[in-house]
Amino acid sequence: MLRLENVSKIYPTSARPALDDVSVDVEAGEFVFLIGPSGSGKSTLLRLLLREETPTRGSVYVANWNVARLPNRKVPKLRQRMGCVFQDFRLLPTRSVADNVAFALEVTGKSEHTIRTVVPEMLELVNLTGKADRMPAELSGGEAQRVAIARALANRPLVLLADEPTGNLDPETSDDIMLLLDRINRAGTTVVMATHDRQIVDAMRRRVVELHLGRLARDDARGVYGARR
Amino acid sequence: MNGLGFVWREAVAGLRRNVTMSVAMMLTTAISLGMLGAGLLAVRTIDRTQDLYYSQLAVQVALDEPTSAGDPDCGSPVCRGLRDQLQADPLVAGVTYESRDAAFQRFLRIYAGQSILQLVRPQSLPATLRVTLKDPTRGDAIVQEFSTRPGVRNVVDQRRLVEDLFTFLGSVRNAAFGLASVQALAALLLISNTIQVSAFTRRTEVGIMRLVGATRWYTQVPFLIEAVITGVVGAILATGGLVLGKLFFIDRLLSGRLISNAIPAVGMSDVLLFVAPLLIVIGAVIAAATGYVTLRLYVRS
Ligand SMILES: Nc1ncnc2c1ncn2[C@@H]1O[C@H](COP(=O)(O)OP(=O)(O)O)[C@@H](O)[C@H]1O
Ligand SMILES: [Mg+2]
Repeated sequence: MLRLENVSKIYPTSARPALDDVSVDVEAGEFVFLIGPSGSGKSTLLRLLLREETPTRGSVYVANWNVARLPNRKVPKLRQRMGCVFQDFRLLPTRSVADNVAFALEVTGKSEHTIRTVVPEMLELVNLTGKADRMPAELSGGEAQRVAIARALANRPLVLLADEPTGNLDPETSDDIMLLLDRINRAGTTVVMATHDRQIVDAMRRRVVELHLGRLARDDARGVYGARR
Repeated sequence: MNGLGFVWREAVAGLRRNVTMSVAMMLTTAISLGMLGAGLLAVRTIDRTQDLYYSQLAVQVALDEPTSAGDPDCGSPVCRGLRDQLQADPLVAGVTYESRDAAFQRFLRIYAGQSILQLVRPQSLPATLRVTLKDPTRGDAIVQEFSTRPGVRNVVDQRRLVEDLFTFLGSVRNAAFGLASVQALAALLLISNTIQVSAFTRRTEVGIMRLVGATRWYTQVPFLIEAVITGVVGAILATGGLVLGKLFFIDRLLSGRLISNAIPAVGMSDVLLFVAPLLIVIGAVIAAATGYVTLRLYVRS
């Protein structure tokens, strides 16, 4: 489903590679934690999968797409099949909860009819049916992240990429989000989540891919965060 | 098209988000297009004036004092000889004779009531042979050939006389175009800058669009439409300005007794049917091209 082959990424403005000869293979349906201290290259790896960046060396595959070689005009198609959420939620502050979810469908050319049926479905999935008309400013952090997840899933992606989705949330709220991501994964969506939250990783006991200074340090099928800090 | 409503709403929202900038952009565009339109109208008027004059202009062969005297119908051998030779010339389309008396009558008509009349006697005017040419630009040849013939006082190519005037009008027109193009450059830069600002204010929105896989249609076309609306509104304002300019300036200027017969009027149809559609097309195309280049150069797709 996702494959990185000997991927290196060197940003033009920095001497040290952000990723250094990394190879990872993720099967459809897996739940993968991508861990490592700040600056270890987690976000860079996710950006390569989204074609936000291209690798300096190596190849990136998502489903049947050779991501690094994809012509620009086909990038939107790739991204429509990948959902992503971030630490800072990235909701549009001037649109309601329902409109934020509808936005993802609207700008990818879905019909009015599809939008009217899919938006309530997604809000129900993330338990926000009653808050469809709220504005983002009126939501708690956990609620905002759930709206972002609903938006990410609206186009029925193959993969959900989450870059420190609990980074701005307190532990209880984080647990809610993890329960939701787990539920989504069990329903069939591949999930890759970058985090440096030890408790979450230890509690979930899922596959752990650890990066350290851009190098692959560990790849455990049922890992914990690890002793090293 | 599914996203038509979306891109239209976004474009209008973009224009309304920064009304001051949008208005400035439209006015600058309007001024440059207005100058361009004025230039186009000037060209049209100059061309028409030129046609009007050139069709009436001729080479005038003025006869000397002895040949002019007392000959109402080119009956004298010298006059007849000249006329026959002119008519036989392959460049010549036609020859008419104006006697000294006829010239004096015309003079009286033109300067009726003016003091110059007291100074002019019939004897001071020559009889002339008016020569029209098949190719009006070949007056030189007639001047050359007939200036030194017996019985000829001088030969004047009237076209030569007005040429300076048309050269002058031509440079006025060029100046109008020059100003218009400087102004157009300002409009282009302003449109380009506004799109950059507009894209910057909407970067969150566009960033999210790109992440969820929106195509360029959704991320860029709103900015292009914004630019094109500006161009078209600018063209409409420019047309309005030209209509006002015609009614309150050109019409008054050209209605003077002296000038009204000399320069053809600028018609409302020239403004509305000839210049306005051109300005709208030019405004839209230039704005779209500027928008496209700006997005290519400054805005990540
Ligand atoms: N756009 C960029 N330009 C230059 N250097 C970058 C850029 N993004 C990240 N980096 C560098 O690459 C390394 C990895 O960063 P990142 O992938 O964001 O790590 P993480 O997400 O694990 O904190 C860091 O040293 C960071 O400074
Ligand atoms: Mg990061």
